[in-house]
Amino acid sequence: MTEESDAKTRILVIDDGITMRLYYRSVLEAAGFEVEEAANGVEGHEKALSQHFDMMIVDINMPKMDGYSLLRAIRKNPAIHGVPAVTISTEARPDDAIKAFEAGANFYLTKPVAPEDLTEVARLMTGGSPR
Amino acid sequence: MALVKGKLPECDGAPRDLSTLLGALASPESAVRRNAVRDLKLYPDSAEALCAQLQDETSPSVRAALFSTLIHLQSPHVAVRLAEFLRSDDVQLRNGAIEALQEMPDAIAPHLQVLLGDADSDVRIFAVNILASLRHDQVPEWLAEVIRTDAHVNVCAAAIDGLAEVGGPEVVKDLEALRLRFAGDAFMDFAITTAIRRIGSE
Amino acid sequence: MNAVSSMIDTEGLPAITAAEYAKFCEFFYRKTGIQYQVNKKYYVDRRIAERIQQTKSESFRDYFTMLRFEASGEELQVLINSLTVNETYFFREDYQFDALVTGILPALAKQKRRGDPIRIWSVPCSSGEEPYSIAINILERWDQSDSWNIEIHASDIDSKILAQARAGRFCERSVGRVSPQLLSKYFKPKIAGEYQICDELRSSIEFSLVNVVDPVQTRRYRDIDIVFCRNMLIYFDDAGRRETMEMFYECLAPGGFICLGHSESMSRMSSTFLPRKFKDVIVYQKPGEQE
Repeated sequence: MTEESDAKTRILVIDDGITMRLYYRSVLEAAGFEVEEAANGVEGHEKALSQHFDMMIVDINMPKMDGYSLLRAIRKNPAIHGVPAVTISTEARPDDAIKAFEAGANFYLTKPVAPEDLTEVARLMTGGSPR
Repeated sequence: MALVKGKLPECDGAPRDLSTLLGALASPESAVRRNAVRDLKLYPDSAEALCAQLQDETSPSVRAALFSTLIHLQSPHVAVRLAEFLRSDDVQLRNGAIEALQEMPDAIAPHLQVLLGDADSDVRIFAVNILASLRHDQVPEWLAEVIRTDAHVNVCAAAIDGLAEVGGPEVVKDLEALRLRFAGDAFMDFAITTAIRRIGSE
Repeated sequence: MNAVSSMIDTEGLPAITAAEYAKFCEFFYRKTGIQYQVNKKYYVDRRIAERIQQTKSESFRDYFTMLRFEASGEELQVLINSLTVNETYFFREDYQFDALVTGILPALAKQKRRGDPIRIWSVPCSSGEEPYSIAINILERWDQSDSWNIEIHASDIDSKILAQARAGRFCERSVGRVSPQLLSKYFKPKIAGEYQICDELRSSIEFSLVNVVDPVQTRRYRDIDIVFCRNMLIYFDDAGRRETMEMFYECLAPGGFICLGHSESMSRMSSTFLPRKFKDVIVYQKPGEQE
């Protein structure tokens, strides 16, 4: 719980779709979270290294570095390996969820995500309500 | 002083022949394979062997080199072979193929209609991602066609993403029609409103 | 039409709406990784408006269409050029030299065998400020520098600028960030308004003419431990960036590092390197042998 802290709970959204990033931002900011964006896995990795985050939302299909590769890289890095991560993908492939958990995801959602599901999962992953 | 003037070795720049390079693709060492792949840029006839290599190659740096060389040697045949990887279970291969195809617009354009009609919605999403990135002035119309005809929410969402950037006022009525088609979906409602605002004709 | 007058700002440059600005920023971010916030709108607007005028585009929409669909991508390069300031001077982006002496070199010293040289490549080196800055930082600030043989190679595609780098003469502005103490230690007394770098430094750097996109010319560069490639790749197209990164991958020793310029993001170039953080600086590392 982070009630005693003034700092907002920070979420890193990693998705190559601009609309998707804006949507996550709008939903999560309305629920009191602070949001930072990255447009592919490499940029997500850079940002995860250079700033503190309480949680990551990771798309699977992205240019340069996909979500699974990103999660594996992050789980290997002692400085950031513990950040909770939710993967969000299209649902056509049934083994996607298994691959996501093997790569190090803590939760798995499919697109399109309803706003209430997104905030619910974000609260769950970050240990309660933001602020 | 700690600084020393270093001399680098002289290298002969004579190119290796095709059969030597193709042989090197089977080397157990990734650096040898990667070097061969880079040098095969000189040989358009190696394209098929490079496509076949992509299927089995596990080293990320060799894969990256394979995609680069294939972009260099691009042709409609290479584009069709790469498009097969859009249905691969290997996400790196899939996304590498999408990026490579985005860099060969003339080669992939004739094949895009087929991909946009694929039974697998993920393949259609990737086709839309490729389409949206092409530098061609028909792109807005083709994306509008996708949102008029495709039944899958995520395929339409991918097309909206492209239209937010390249669409003009003429696509607004298609976007509004789509909103009715997916009434009650919060994400689609948000995406359509955002796209219309970007297009600038609210 | 009434709308036309509102599209021109007070200085006669075309005005850009908030929605157009947002659309532009998203496109520019996707292509370059550079993010402009709303507070940069005035600066960005001016540059775009100038390009709208110079290209004789009718409106932002016309200009954006050209930017987006032009097959050569030339206008995008021109615009990047006008949005990013590229000048060279001693100790430019010196947070990276901090990372070099406090993080990168100590990390390399741990993984390398004593007796093997540490090989640094500054490319493009332009008029020489960067390789000389690297040299001075190492000599002044890395306490292990005496225990290693350190090679600095410096290359540029432009023979005129390379001759200037070899000569090592710099104007007042170029050495503006060099302290008086370092000026007197590494430069000769000022003559005719110019500072000449000392002969020991000049003769310890290997200068060479190299075009990075020519594989024959770059083939000699092997077992490099650190590449400084700052503020060049941003002017390349996607294919040029990717191929240059692959060339660096070949040139670097396993575990070697690349330092890019502050407005350049590896996330738009390659995924074969790993980001590493030293102090507050992100640099990129080639994976080790067992890839």
